[in-house]
Amino acid sequence: MCVGVPMQLVEINYPSGIAEAKGVKREIGLQLMPEHVLAVGDHVIVHVGYAIEKVDRKLADEIWETLDEVLQLMDEEENSA
Amino acid sequence: MKTTQNILKHIRSLVPADRKVRIMNVCGSHEHTIAFSGMRTLLPESLEIIPGPGCPVCVCPESDIINAISLSTRDDVILVTYGDMLRVPSKEGSIRSRGRNYRMITSPSEAVALARSNPDKKIVFFSIGFETTTAPTAAILETGVPDNLFILSSHRLTPTIMEVLVKDQEIGIDGFIAPGHVSAIVGANAWNVFSEQYGIPTVVAGFEAESLMLGITEILIQLKRGMASTGNVYAGVVRPEGNVQARAIMDRYFEVADVNWRGIGHIPASGLELRDAHAMKDARKVFGLPEIKESHIPGCLCGTIVLGKAYPSACGLFKKACTPKTPKGPCMVSMEGSCNIWFKAGSA
Ligand code: SF4
Repeated sequence: MCVGVPMQLVEINYPSGIAEAKGVKREIGLQLMPEHVLAVGDHVIVHVGYAIEKVDRKLADEIWETLDEVLQLMDEEENSA
Repeated sequence: MKTTQNILKHIRSLVPADRKVRIMNVCGSHEHTIAFSGMRTLLPESLEIIPGPGCPVCVCPESDIINAISLSTRDDVILVTYGDMLRVPSKEGSIRSRGRNYRMITSPSEAVALARSNPDKKIVFFSIGFETTTAPTAAILETGVPDNLFILSSHRLTPTIMEVLVKDQEIGIDGFIAPGHVSAIVGANAWNVFSEQYGIPTVVAGFEAESLMLGITEILIQLKRGMASTGNVYAGVVRPEGNVQARAIMDRYFEVADVNWRGIGHIPASGLELRDAHAMKDARKVFGLPEIKESHIPGCLCGTIVLGKAYPSACGLFKKACTPKTPKGPCMVSMEGSCNIWFKAGSA
């Protein structure tokens, strides 16, 4: 629930927008961030459907790497449990 | 990998030989990384990394869960909440086992959509969590919600519970790893109180093992030098002042309240309720919800674990009667609960 995931903004209709991660697009809320700091192509950290902060691409990739690892380990555990 | 090895070497050289150092993390995602990376087994024995109150589902009062169950049995109500909340046990069962009209949502915006598509029903959003989920709930109120949407707020404040832990001498915390995304909202400066008033180094870290180890290193360096300040190894996301706009929106709708923490008790000024100006959105007031006495789950140490006073392995039910499939307490239900994380990561 509390896991924040990085997503890339592909469309902005402030105060909402469309963001994408891993090929999945989703409508997200942008009202927690000032409109003028956001641009299409930016990466943002999304919590329960709302962008809470910007993040650069490199860090976004690193965060996904960790998330992928943990998610995979959890899957393996779940299947073996 | 080379950097990880180097950081580990550095950490080993910094840990004092003559005493224990206790560093607490207060974030379920941090505990995930620590448990799943097996980091504890690589660190010196005298360095303890203690999981603290990083699980909002675990501390949500039983009273709120029971009220949510009873709201969901009304014909005119649909109760919505995050997935983990549906499975948390109470003395009256869980929302999933005892509730009737309920739905899982993954975002507050889904509660708004449901209210729009069900104008003849009252939608009650059981909204729980720390700052990272409070802000999105405030965001829907800011944009405007339909008249038939109500909020049952069970939001909690991270800095306040951390201060309670610091004052509790029994735990003896030498340093805090501050949660990455909560910090994005409250700002790295929100943690200054710990270094300035209590002399406890506090470092904001990200979620990769490397970032966490860097955070631990910085705390150890500060301890060695006999200093304390707020550090930030997650500066790519967390600014000193945090997300000012998000906090302004939260402040418009929520006010600080004295609230209960499950398994812990009543803590002054540690939660958020809707302001009086928004009473018509407040499920507690609109439905006249009673305060129900909290009970204790026999054998469950969840509250003690949340406070960092015991590890999951200290509980006699851990991995025996209590597993993710048969959870006895909230810490085994939530993906952010220490018992759940330790079970899945195979920690002893
Ligand atoms: S293992 Fe289960 S019963 Fe024991 S403390 Fe954790 S949640 Fe409670």
